[in-house]
Order: sequence, then structure tokens, then C-alpha cells
Amino acid sequence: MGIHYLLLSLLLLLGASSFEAPQTTAYQKIFVHRGPGHTFHDVASLNPGLPVNIIERNRVGNWVRVTRTTEDNTVVLDGWVMTGYLNYDGNFALSAIPVNEAVADAEPANAQYQSTADLYAVPVISQVSRAMEGVYRYGQALGRHSNVVTKVGDSVSANSLYLNPMNRSDYDLGPYDFLEDTIRFFGPSVATNSVASRIGMTTYVIFDPLWADKERCEPGETPLACEYRLNQPSIAMVMFGPNDVRHMTDAEFAEQMRQIVEISIEQGVIPVLSTFSVHPDDTLWWQSINFNLRLSEIAAEYEVPLINLWAAARVLPEYGLDEDDIHMANSGFPNLKFSTGHDAYYGTSLQNLLSIRMLDEIRRTLDLG
Amino acid sequence: MRILMMVVACGLLLAACASESTDPADVVEGYLEAKVAGDSRAMQQLLCSPMEVDLQREAAAFTSVTDVSIEDMACTSTEGSDIVQCTGQIVANYGAEDTSFPLSSYRVVQEDGEWKWCGEAS
Repeated sequence: MGIHYLLLSLLLLLGASSFEAPQTTAYQKIFVHRGPGHTFHDVASLNPGLPVNIIERNRVGNWVRVTRTTEDNTVVLDGWVMTGYLNYDGNFALSAIPVNEAVADAEPANAQYQSTADLYAVPVISQVSRAMEGVYRYGQALGRHSNVVTKVGDSVSANSLYLNPMNRSDYDLGPYDFLEDTIRFFGPSVATNSVASRIGMTTYVIFDPLWADKERCEPGETPLACEYRLNQPSIAMVMFGPNDVRHMTDAEFAEQMRQIVEISIEQGVIPVLSTFSVHPDDTLWWQSINFNLRLSEIAAEYEVPLINLWAAARVLPEYGLDEDDIHMANSGFPNLKFSTGHDAYYGTSLQNLLSIRMLDEIRRTLDLG
Repeated sequence: MRILMMVVACGLLLAACASESTDPADVVEGYLEAKVAGDSRAMQQLLCSPMEVDLQREAAAFTSVTDVSIEDMACTSTEGSDIVQCTGQIVANYGAEDTSFPLSSYRVVQEDGEWKWCGEAS
């Protein structure tokens, strides 16, 4: 450990000319972890008010590596904390912080069970595969709009505070300045509600014309087909599970999800899958873990993007869930607001952050503008 | 003996005619009631063969909502048409929110002399 700190001190000294690590403080006592996730053991605690330097961040941006040094540049603290736990004073922009592309989002070996370890091993934000580039190009040939994203799912995604606030001009990104271009690019497309995202929606009824909006959809049209025809999206944020887990097996769920993914791909729409949060006290905890594992398997099988919301939300109070333990907790603000650490406290804020970050990854990888 | 045979024959003929003359509107109403109740056995009896693969999905249409019922259902069929038009709506509850599903037009087909529900008319 002593050599580690010595090397880090040297690196900090050598790199001082090219990168000046911004300084900030935590606004409450927090644990500092060995890596960017709560499965990494904590190495220290950090009291509020003590200045730390932000030296790098993870790919997502929701964890940063901080150090504390003495006057003679001896490193006395080195570890990772959630970005949302730090005071944002307006002068630290994550775009200026070096990204550590290699660090994993979790240390699965520290998970208590094999199945949860498998789920922790799934990155919070996946890379965008070459296969999705092909899907996008095909969608363009079909006339889909490159800057249109839509929502497909149940009440967790139908929530008007999920993604729709991208359409507001009063967003407050706080340190996440690098997401602004993505919000401007996709924001206008979420002004109208998706007919494929509705309370009570399941992976079964997304194919049932009875559940389609009769005023906007054609007779006999399924909600999914209707949404893809109406808005011509190039990307669909697909999130099912919290309803389905109460009524079907994980095998049935996987079969339905495969249909959604296959239809999307066939129609030139990139389906972005997402795991869902669940409370450990929920009687359906293990069933939910199995559902999430199926989702990660399907994402890998079809090489479609996946957001591991389950893993990222584990560190949030009540796992980011509302009192009903089904829906994500809202911050109470109608706009995107990341300057006061909402992404570290409220499920919907974290869900928005990760979804926009995933859209950002797609936009940059596919060079969408 | 001959009279007895004629009576039996007429009886069989009448029974056969009765089973074939089910009103398609009744079939649609029966199917929608079974769907709301999630009664897959009753749905199977009224579902056309091409849609049998969708039975599980059809039966699970309202599993995620509660207090499901049909309001003011009225279905009518026109002779010679395979379309049944329905008015009314299915209402349900999800948490503290109400949600509704307006009824529309449905296609029916005859299989072995029986009318069967065969999805929404497109």
C-alpha cells in the first residue's frame, strides 16, 4: 500500500502540469471504496468539509476517484465515491476529469451469492456493438429518425419524470456537463408520450391490440407496432419486469423479451434493455434476480445495449425505490437536476442519468450528431 | 317404428342447426368476458385456430391490473359480415390510477359450424 501511494504521489506530481485535479468536499460522512461501486470494500470514511481532489471518473461518471494529500504531497486517502455525494460548486465538470475506462463497475467476488455476483458482473452501461450500428443503418434506410428515442415498458418507464424532462430547457446537469449535447439531440423527441409505455403494461400486452391507444393506433395494431409507426424512433428504451415478475416465470418472460428485441431489430430500432431494481425484502427478490439475469443474457445474445439499473441502484436509499417497492422514487423536481446529488438518492434521477448516459454512448459511437 | 325414427331424425337435425346458429356477437361478448376474467378454458372454446398460439398472452391481458370489469358492452353483428362491432369499455385499476380500454370491432370466423373470435378487425 505504501508503494501504491508513493507511485500515485509521483503520478500526481508529473501530471500536475496537464491536469489540475479539481477540489471539493463531501456534504455528509461517506464511505470511500476501493473501486466505483459498493461491492468494492471500503477503504476509509470521509467527513464532510474535508477537501479531496477528483483525479478520475468511471465510464458512467456516477463515481469518481478522490485523493487527499498532505502539504508534502503524501497521499493519505485514495478511493472512489459516488459523484452525487460531493458538493458541486459549479467549477468541476466531469468532461474535464480523466475517464478510467478499465475499472470495473463492481467486484462480483464480494457478492454473497453466485446469482447476484453474475448480475454485478454486468456493466452498468454497456458498450455499443457493431451489430447495433447495422440495426441503426437499416433503420435509417427505412426512414427512422436518428434523433428520436421512445419508451417501451410499464409504469416505471411511463412515469412522466422519466426521460420526458429531457424536453425541458431548465435542465440542471451539475457536474454532468458532457451530457448536454445528447439531451439537446434527443430531448424534443420525448415531448409526446409513447403509446408503448403505459401503467400495467407487460411483455404480453405489448402485443395485444386491446392495449393500444385507440385514438392514435390503427385497428388491430399492437402498442409496439403502433409506437414504432407513429414516432419512427431509432432507439427504444425497453423496460419490463416489475409487473411481469408477479405473474410469469423467467422463462416466459425471456421468451416475450426476445420477441420485443427481435421485432425491434427487424424494424431498425435499437432496443436498449434495462434491469430493474428490487428490494431484498420483497418476496419476489430471487425471481427478480432471475428476470434480471435473463435480461442480461438476452442483451448479450443479441448484442443490444443494456443498462444495469439494478446494480447501480443498490447503493441508493431503499435501492432507489418508492414506498410501494415497485416504482422508482422521484425527487419531486419536474426537471433534470443533478447539481444536488439526486442521482445518489432517488431512483428516477439515477434511471434518468443512466439512460441519458446510454443514449450519449450510442450517439457518440454511431456518430449521430 | 317409422314415426319414431322420423322424430329422432328431426331431433338430431334441430340440435345440429341449433349448435351452428350461435350469434357471432354473443361469441365476441363471451370471449371478452372470459378475457377479463382470465378464464383461459372458456377463451380456448371461443378462440379461432390461428390464434390458439396466442392463448397464453390473451389470458394474461389483465393480470397486472385489478378490479377489471366491462362497462356498457353492446356488440352487434351484420348478417354476411365477419366483423362484430362493440361499444363499451373495459375498466381496471392499477395502484391508485384507473385505466380503461375502449371496445372496438372484432373479426369472427366459422370453424366446424361454430363462430370463433379471431382478434381485432384491422
